Amino acid sequence: MEELKLIELAQNGDRKALTDLVKMYEQTVYNFSFKICRHKDRAEHTMQETFLSMVKSINQFSGQSKLSTWLYRVVANHCLMLARSENKYGFTSIDDDDAVIDEKSIADWKITPDKIAENNELKQILDESIQKLEPEYRIVFMLRDVEGLSTEETAKIVELSIPAVKSRLHRARAFLRNELNERFKYEQ
Amino acid sequence: MSNENQTLKIGMPTCKDVMAHICDNLGEELNSPRCIEIKTHLENCDNCQHYFKSVETTIQFYKKYNVQISDEAHKRLIDFLGLKE
Repeated sequence: MEELKLIELAQNGDRKALTDLVKMYEQTVYNFSFKICRHKDRAEHTMQETFLSMVKSINQFSGQSKLSTWLYRVVANHCLMLARSENKYGFTSIDDDDAVIDEKSIADWKITPDKIAENNELKQILDESIQKLEPEYRIVFMLRDVEGLSTEETAKIVELSIPAVKSRLHRARAFLRNELNERFKYEQ
Repeated sequence: MSNENQTLKIGMPTCKDVMAHICDNLGEELNSPRCIEIKTHLENCDNCQHYFKSVETTIQFYKKYNVQISDEAHKRLIDFLGLKE
């Protein structure tokens, strides 16, 4: 059944439709929560809180934007709140382009993205690298580059202008690329 | 050119892809003098092409790193929300 019909049924008290909406989006929400939080327990907690918000607010949902857009926004806000309460000073500042872009240091990476599924050491490197990135930048990178949302959708979710999204994306990409370059240049 | 076309293509980004990507970030039109200068540079610069290829690979690493919700986490979610299968 299509999303808008399920939302309409859920708004009229149909619990089965509500369950179907949860099942439709639980994998997306869990995966996105993990990608922002980088911790399975926190990702599960965020997923639960996100769907609780959806259940409580389903009657206010107007259908003007996609439900997924709304869910992404709740996850992003929840993860930001968690990150700010837990780590105020542990992130690397990337407010300066010159400090981020390091095109002179180019190494040949021996590891390729198709090795990720079976390589726990690689996962750890990716986790450690992105955890240094400020959550505000991490969310933009994840929404635009990893989840594949448009710049406009990303801007709407994070409530930033399009130039601001592009700027954060540009710096986040360069920062992560430099972090991986530092780690991979020693890998054979 | 659309935003989709301006995104670096997976695998083999061309100089044009790289130029479009940079100009898009700079807010420049593709045929502006600044973008033409960038294109000229990139067509002759292995280092820049290599750099942008590594940025694209970075994105692919994070795209391919996914986690699956477990059956237990699914059940806990349904219980938490007071729903039934």
